[in-house]
Amino acid sequence: MSVLSVRNLALSIGGTPILHDVDLSVEAGEILGVVGESGSGKSLTALSIMQLLPRSAKWAGEIEVAGNSIGAMNEKALCKMRGRDVAMIFQEPMTALNPVHTIGHQIAETILIHNECSRAQASERAAALMHRVGLDPKKISPDRYPHELSGGQRQRVAIAMAIALRPKLLIADEPTTALDVTTQAQILDLLRNLVKQDRMGMIFITHDLAVISNLADKIAVMRHGEVVEAGPTDTVFREMRHDYTRALFSASAHVPKREAHINADGEPVLAVDEVVREYARPRKSLFQASRPFRAVDSVTLKIRPGENVGLVGESGCGKSTLARAILALDRLQGGKILLNGRVFSQAGAGPDMRQRAGVQVVFQDPYGSFNPRHTVRRLVAEPLYLIENAPAGAEREAKITRALEEVGLQASDADKYIHEFSGGQRQRIAIARALIIEPSLIVLDEAVSALDVSIRAQILDLLASLSTRLGVSYLFISHDLSVVRSITDRVMVMREGRIVEEGTTEEVFLAPKHAYTKMLIAATPVLKAPAEA
Amino acid sequence: MTLYLLRRLLALMLTLIAASIVVFLVTEIIPGDPASFMMGINADPQAVAALRSELGLDQPLVTRYLAWVIGMVQGDFGLSYTYKVPVSELVGDRILISLPLTLYALLLSTLIAFPAGVVAAARRNTAADFAVIGATQLGVAIPNFWFAMLLVLAFAVNLQWFSAGGFPGWDAGFLEAMKALTLPAIALALPQASILARVMRSSLLDTLDEDFVRTARAKGLTRSQTLWRHALRNALIPVLTIVGLQFSFLLAGGIIIENVFYLPGLGRLVFQAITQRDLIVVRSVIILLVFAVVAVTFLVDIAYAVADPRLRRRAR
Amino acid sequence: MSGHSQQETGFIRAALGHPAFLAGLLLTALFVAAALVSFVWTPFDPEKMQIAAKLKGPSTEHWFGTDHFGRDVFSMLMVGARVSIAVAFVAVGIGIGFGVPLGLYAAANRNSLIDEIVMRGNDLIFAFPSLLLAILITAVFGPGAINAIIAIGIFNIPVFARLSRGAALSLWTREFILAARVAGKGAARISVEHILPNLMNLLIVQGTIQFSLAVLAEAGLAYVGLGAQPPTPSWGRMLAEAQTFISLAPHMALFPGLAIVLTVLGLNLLGDGLRDLHDPRIRRSRG
Repeated sequence: MSVLSVRNLALSIGGTPILHDVDLSVEAGEILGVVGESGSGKSLTALSIMQLLPRSAKWAGEIEVAGNSIGAMNEKALCKMRGRDVAMIFQEPMTALNPVHTIGHQIAETILIHNECSRAQASERAAALMHRVGLDPKKISPDRYPHELSGGQRQRVAIAMAIALRPKLLIADEPTTALDVTTQAQILDLLRNLVKQDRMGMIFITHDLAVISNLADKIAVMRHGEVVEAGPTDTVFREMRHDYTRALFSASAHVPKREAHINADGEPVLAVDEVVREYARPRKSLFQASRPFRAVDSVTLKIRPGENVGLVGESGCGKSTLARAILALDRLQGGKILLNGRVFSQAGAGPDMRQRAGVQVVFQDPYGSFNPRHTVRRLVAEPLYLIENAPAGAEREAKITRALEEVGLQASDADKYIHEFSGGQRQRIAIARALIIEPSLIVLDEAVSALDVSIRAQILDLLASLSTRLGVSYLFISHDLSVVRSITDRVMVMREGRIVEEGTTEEVFLAPKHAYTKMLIAATPVLKAPAEA
Repeated sequence: MTLYLLRRLLALMLTLIAASIVVFLVTEIIPGDPASFMMGINADPQAVAALRSELGLDQPLVTRYLAWVIGMVQGDFGLSYTYKVPVSELVGDRILISLPLTLYALLLSTLIAFPAGVVAAARRNTAADFAVIGATQLGVAIPNFWFAMLLVLAFAVNLQWFSAGGFPGWDAGFLEAMKALTLPAIALALPQASILARVMRSSLLDTLDEDFVRTARAKGLTRSQTLWRHALRNALIPVLTIVGLQFSFLLAGGIIIENVFYLPGLGRLVFQAITQRDLIVVRSVIILLVFAVVAVTFLVDIAYAVADPRLRRRAR
Repeated sequence: MSGHSQQETGFIRAALGHPAFLAGLLLTALFVAAALVSFVWTPFDPEKMQIAAKLKGPSTEHWFGTDHFGRDVFSMLMVGARVSIAVAFVAVGIGIGFGVPLGLYAAANRNSLIDEIVMRGNDLIFAFPSLLLAILITAVFGPGAINAIIAIGIFNIPVFARLSRGAALSLWTREFILAARVAGKGAARISVEHILPNLMNLLIVQGTIQFSLAVLAEAGLAYVGLGAQPPTPSWGRMLAEAQTFISLAPHMALFPGLAIVLTVLGLNLLGDGLRDLHDPRIRRSRG
């Protein structure tokens, strides 16, 4: 008997159809990977099974959990089912736990809600569960609060809560998306083992084909609220019967065409010299200031004209702080930064505004990067402020048009407002804004991380062609090793404020020297090529 | 936790000191010389001068300020210019009406607002919710002194359940005294309860939208279990701030309400003192009320630390 | 400018489907109109006493009755609206005029000495219950409408300073502000060009709410004799005078009270409505 069978599931929210004809099934001990881009309806499919839908939602079809039809259950029966038969873990470990209860209490709660066992027994079982998910209760006391734990530890707590009663089905909705790659690898291992040991069925929802290709027994590919292709993982990857599966696959493994044209003898566009960035830490006592936290610790690096350099590292390694320092958004506590051979900012002094036009930036969030109240014309033209005798009238208009056309948009887009554009188009506008004053360096701070894979492939193509045509250099900052590998000439690996390894991209990826780099590369999920599968 | 509270305590002490300087300076520039006011218009200038030095009015500003502050710390608030009795005595009698009235109203406000806010949030978009929204919308718009007059009209003039005003004194028995404070407390509390109920409702609704509430539901908790065990305590954190602020509003509102019910509280004392240029009384009452507000702010800070573990970062 | 006009028509359509907002708008417009009309016309001279016609209940001649001096309550209410609205308007103006620049400045220079001074100053003002400030000011300058304005205005400064500082602080971390900094713009320019326009919705909503609180505060001050002085009619003082005659002529207390309640109610509904209409989540679910 299947632990889950979904037939002809249709869902609408407030009258808008969201899902139609969704069929899924999961056997005991089996992992079903549900993969799709944002808006494909994969999370709402999960919430339909849990019956945790918004109030305005209406669903139809047949959902059976362990042979029991959910449609026939009242709210009381559903509450009994949730947590005992079906459990769920969510994406965001930072907000998924209640900040005012201890983690031990929250794990024990799952047991107490469903069983008639005593409080003491429940705490005992909670401690055992913590052990099971890799949190040693001796080191991490059950009396701790969520804010005292790291993201990976919190996700382990969430898993402990979910598996407390050995549910028949575990639904994991992007459980590793917010985590670093090394943490992601550990959590994936943990989930894989738990499924094996408890013979649970698991639905693993993700946007990441590479993650799912190494984890799932079978796959369902979703798009626009429909399952477009489903079957055993190997078969789906080998046959790829549906166009969308093929497109998704090629976008995930996309490597943009580009040719390196580095001017090795020219003055470096960027030279970072022994740069130090420190943050004040909260005081531990009233009378004694804490030692500052050194986010960037004596970093030295150079970028040559036309060169695309990658900077990779996990969250908290200081890569974004370094980016802000290079953009002279923060003051330095040591060292200096040179643009095109001239000092841009140095410790003890503010930035030299005359050099500012040498570097521009594209940020991660396509929604937060623009003032919603300005037209695209005004947004794109903003950096022209840096030019003395900034062009006006027709000349200015020509510059705006050219910048928009460079990134594949039209002159007529200048009159629109930012809310009229999709995420990918907004990232194009951000690039146009960076290009308009023809800087020698563009810092791309996780510039494609928030985009769906198909859009990401297009933006990577655009970046590669711009670099080739205009000779602009990139500092490409990302946590995503495969993206960095596809677009950079040289790569640097950062950890705890220091650059631990540096070399040409192929060298570093094929023959990493530093133990940390090796670990990062080993932890990065690789999408198996169809031929191998 | 102690570090956080120490810092708050320090900040509040500074506020208190700054407030005392402001109050002192403002009452200093009030036109009219208290000494000549006390002696009457036709007083002998020499006698006025003698009185001035007796009251310490001829001392330099800083000396007078320090003398005032040091006196207060020792419980000596000085001598009332008009009543010729120690200010502490005058204030002591009145504060036994004003403070109980404020606390009574705060209690009522909280007792009304919490259930109303919780019910409205738990039954969002139902008749109960709309009733609470409507009632509170009206409640925040009603001036408390007008509401007090309506209460007098209904319960004192027409129904005659309560007396229209006055205070029998605590000697008349606790229940009698509380009865005299009941209409004023209701008049004070209802508009504030409306605000508090709205804050409670919206804070709870915000919390119910949080991820951890969904986690709790996924564990198998029912809607009401989720509300009581997970949402409520988190929702209370912003509500605490408002409860603290309400104390200040109720204290100020009490000064007005005392006028409606002819209660001999601090409010009436301060209005009399202003017209009689009895600066020392005005000054003392105001600084006492500021002290009360600051003290309650500190209590709210402590409550914060208890409610929110993120504030009591343990020393590791 | 198609984007703007689209946004605007969307706003108007959403507004028309929001009855509470429309009710608030109507009530507010009604009282503003009453105040404006009172400059050119009132049924009776609001200061003219007619002892013979004193304490009369509502009639076709005197719609809301007369007071203890035989003055027409309706005319007094119309003129009283003027005082209420003027005091509240100027007081909130003071709050915005001083509070918003202070808050923006503090946010642009966070953790600086100025920031600290602004925040501690706010704490100081909040430590005085609003009425105490009014009492202090009245003690210095004597009672009057101007003092009511100053007292309520001072109390509004920290409200707006705190609000705009908090909102500006979170805007300063947004990427579009970082982009403006990368484009070489200084703190002052960014505050005016990027921060302030994005605070507007918030300020309008809070402004409406503070306006209604100011109407209540003015009434309270006038009631205890610290507001506009006779013979200028004012709602709060009308209530104070009505108190003596509460059992004899309850209409004297009823109408000024209702005027205050409806004005404040209208402003609150307007403020809540504006907040709903500017909240994209709510707007979408309505549309």
